[in-house]
Amino acid sequence: MAILEAKALNKTYTVDHQDIMVLNDISLTVEPGEFVVITGSSGSGKTTLLTLLSGLDKPTSGRVFIDQQDITGASEDDLAPLRNRMIGFVFQSFHLIPSMSAMENIMFPAELQGLSNAEKKARQLLERVGLADRADNLPSQLSGGEKQRVSLCRAMINDPKLLFADEPTGNLDSKNGRIVFEQLVEMKNEQGATLILVTHNPEIATAADRVLTLRDGRLTHKIQGLG
Amino acid sequence: MIHGHFIRREIARSSKQAILFCLCVALSLTSLTVFSGFSESVSQTLLTDAKKLHAADIIVHSHDKLSDELDSAISDHIRQGKIDRSRYWEFYSMVRTADDQASVLSLLKVVEKGYPFYGEIVLKSGRPFHDVLTPGQTVVEQSLLDRLGAGIGDSLQVGYTTLIIRDVVVSEPDRPVNVFSFGPRVFVSSKDLDALSLIRTGSRITYVSLLKVADDRQIEAIAGRLKQFASPDRERVDTYRTARTRVKRFLDNFIFFLKLVGIFILIIAGMGIQNTLTAFFNEKQRTIAIMKTIGATHRQIIRYFMPVVVLPALLGTVLGISAGIILQQGLARLLSVFFPPDMPFAVAWIGIFESMALGIAVVALFTFLPLLRLKEVRPVVIFRKEKAVPHKHWPVFVSAIGFVLFFFGLVFRHMQDLRFGFYFVASLSALILVTSIFTRLLLWILKRLRIRRMVVRQAIKGLFRQGNATRSVIVTLTASLSVIFSIYLLEQNLDTTYVKSYPADAPNLFVIDIQPTQQEAFSNFIEQPLIFYPIVRARVTAINDKTIDRRAERAKRRDNLGRTFNLTYRHSLLADEKIIKGSQLFRDDWTDPQVSVLDTVVDMHKMDIGDTIRFNIQGVPLKARISSIRTRTTDTFGPYFYFVFEKKTLKLAPQTIFTALRVEKHRVGLLQGRIVKMFPNVSVIDLSATIQVFARMMKQLSTIIKGFCILSMAAGILILISGVFATRAERITESVYYKILGAGKTFVRKVFSLEIFIVGLLSGILALVMSQTGVFLICRFFLDIAYHPFLLSCGFIVGATLLLIIGVGMVSTISILEKKPVIYLREQPDE
Repeated sequence: MAILEAKALNKTYTVDHQDIMVLNDISLTVEPGEFVVITGSSGSGKTTLLTLLSGLDKPTSGRVFIDQQDITGASEDDLAPLRNRMIGFVFQSFHLIPSMSAMENIMFPAELQGLSNAEKKARQLLERVGLADRADNLPSQLSGGEKQRVSLCRAMINDPKLLFADEPTGNLDSKNGRIVFEQLVEMKNEQGATLILVTHNPEIATAADRVLTLRDGRLTHKIQGLG
Repeated sequence: MIHGHFIRREIARSSKQAILFCLCVALSLTSLTVFSGFSESVSQTLLTDAKKLHAADIIVHSHDKLSDELDSAISDHIRQGKIDRSRYWEFYSMVRTADDQASVLSLLKVVEKGYPFYGEIVLKSGRPFHDVLTPGQTVVEQSLLDRLGAGIGDSLQVGYTTLIIRDVVVSEPDRPVNVFSFGPRVFVSSKDLDALSLIRTGSRITYVSLLKVADDRQIEAIAGRLKQFASPDRERVDTYRTARTRVKRFLDNFIFFLKLVGIFILIIAGMGIQNTLTAFFNEKQRTIAIMKTIGATHRQIIRYFMPVVVLPALLGTVLGISAGIILQQGLARLLSVFFPPDMPFAVAWIGIFESMALGIAVVALFTFLPLLRLKEVRPVVIFRKEKAVPHKHWPVFVSAIGFVLFFFGLVFRHMQDLRFGFYFVASLSALILVTSIFTRLLLWILKRLRIRRMVVRQAIKGLFRQGNATRSVIVTLTASLSVIFSIYLLEQNLDTTYVKSYPADAPNLFVIDIQPTQQEAFSNFIEQPLIFYPIVRARVTAINDKTIDRRAERAKRRDNLGRTFNLTYRHSLLADEKIIKGSQLFRDDWTDPQVSVLDTVVDMHKMDIGDTIRFNIQGVPLKARISSIRTRTTDTFGPYFYFVFEKKTLKLAPQTIFTALRVEKHRVGLLQGRIVKMFPNVSVIDLSATIQVFARMMKQLSTIIKGFCILSMAAGILILISGVFATRAERITESVYYKILGAGKTFVRKVFSLEIFIVGLLSGILALVMSQTGVFLICRFFLDIAYHPFLLSCGFIVGATLLLIIGVGMVSTISILEKKPVIYLREQPDE
């Protein structure tokens, strides 16, 4: 049974009274535990598709189902528990809360859920990514690679079934990029989670179960990956 | 779980916006503490020493001799040993030097031994008052000596007798020396009352009986019993707690205007709270979006951010209240001349608590919308910058209705007048609404202008930067400036009409209290044609047989039916009168008493032709039918009367004669002296001099009010600074790109200063146009006086305001201008 399903998604933006179609009739299904890469040139609509699939934005038309649940018309407050318990996000620009330390950033989703062992879990995750000694540092005191590893820990703390990653290595050098990617895949596999990853990087694409290519807002290729 | 670190860091990250928000909260609390709290403090201060302020426990007040019933009731209580009584008579009269060379209108107080029961009259010599004020002696105010060129030991002619000046009064408990009056104080012993021969039929004299109650617990009961014997139309019985002294009335009226200004500042400061908080939350948009992405609900976000808002608000509350207390003390010092002596001003804590409660309500009211708008922040903003588009409009309507209801409630509570409260709220709403519409229109035009000059083009573009709050800044500055300009223009126009250019043909001497038997002699003495107006003093007791509630009437801010009126009789209209209802002054077909009323009376109470008015003429009732309603065609200094009767109705009533004459300025003093010498009971009021004294005092008070109005500008300036900080990132980007592309610092400075200049100029021009229009309408259609625009002075004020705004704006952009391109590029945030 599919964990994620999109049916005939369209997304149009209106800029200066002019409609710009970003996504055009996208339909896809993702099975539990799958690792799907979405690739495409700059401006092809990759990130927009990711935001629609994860419920961060709403499509102009079409429907999105997560774990059989139609999230298309759900309000922000209805989506909040779903995002908190079922979904983890990793972004190219990290998006850590600047006023929280590394530890607090990781704990935050667990605290929202009211978990009593949030701190313990966060500490374990930090140790796992080799950042135990940076727990009290603010994001501004961390390097890019460290920020992304904190972001990864934050995504994993609530044991999500679904992971969305938007160019997770895009802002990192090749060495740090490789470390982060390896840790991401490792955690995904341990958790048995599904990973939807947007990237330009052909090396990462080769690790995926399936590669979807977007061109001008349409899915043009569905390549079975090598991973 | 909410982290203390998170709260501290979130405040620190937006410290500038937090400070501005805190200052706006402080501003609103300052305004509440000063204007609402000051009133409470004054009341408490006056109440604490109320016995001293009234010099007695019970005060019986009348404009005529006390009725026999009341007088014998008082005497009974005296006989039973329950009370002591000390009477005084207060009235205006001319006093003159023994050689008749100089004279001055004075406020006489003829006092019995025992006055005052509480407090003391302080004399310059330090001697006890009643040791000095013996029969044949007088104690006077210093200004009387100055004006007459007299000294201690000199003789003074008062009425028909001569008294020796023995001392100078420094202070008296029941009247502050500096409260506005037509003339200086003169104390006379009651033993000389008959010798003065000034208490005659129809004279305007206040009869006061001060009563001291032996047992404090009996004060209310005795006052209650005496009230039963008092004639409600003529006599007032008050305890020291309920009596309204001249000081109280004066301070009440002054505080009333302060409260109006206070509520206005509160609204403007409230707009500041809303704007700075919105700017504060705009800086938090990314954090909120990330929180939502991770799964935080709106409620959880509010729970996280509430302390971030509450802490600066609390700090602002403490700051505002502290500043308010200091300003209250300052205000009390400024007004100290109007307070009774030996009455130290104390801040009333009840007023402070009330201000605090109101302040919390104001903060809650103005933070409601920005907090609710957090709901509209979508998680997708972490990917792209987009403006949160409100998808629900009900919060705006709910908060708008909330504002109006809250402020109407506040205005009504403080003004105690539904009609006035409605007018005030409607005028303020109209001011803000009209300003908003014009601001929108002007900005719309500016946006569409095709400008070739790059500096101007970039400056105008800058006005529309997201987060710049240009519209809010212009609206708040315009509203504040409009009020300041309006007060200034009104004051100047009144000054020009009534003080600087006193009409050449208007009478400048009012002669009052001429006895009917003196009319012919007076006419012969003056040797110029005079119009004599008979004056009959009376009260209105009922309209259409419905009794007038005098206490309720007197509590009204405007002119009311609770006071004593001067009735007259004649059969023709005055030169500046016309009939607006009814065919003629009096109807030929009515045989019962008729009265013609001025339209001003109709404004006080609804009435029409054929309605009946019952008067009490010094104890004698008179019922008359309204035969016509008159209006005045000009607001001149000529005499006018609210109620005019036929001669046959009033000719036998106790009356005095009034006349007005025009005398060249240099002859005023001489003529005054001659009149008083010839007719010692007659009083002469030099109107132009009196108006100048009055105008000087009004100017002092309006300066205080204008000073406080400037506080409202502070809110506009805080929003301006908040706008600059909110757009700091965009400004730095622009500034760096300009510099990278080869523009110098001067160019960047020019663009930013021009942008702020445009904001100031639009606000100044809008305020000028609105205040000129408003004051023009008031002058032409309400006051009926000529209008002068005072463009030069207004231009000067606009210029000064522009300098201030540009100065403040440029100071807040210094750090932006100083930013080096290389540092900016290195600092580009990536989290």
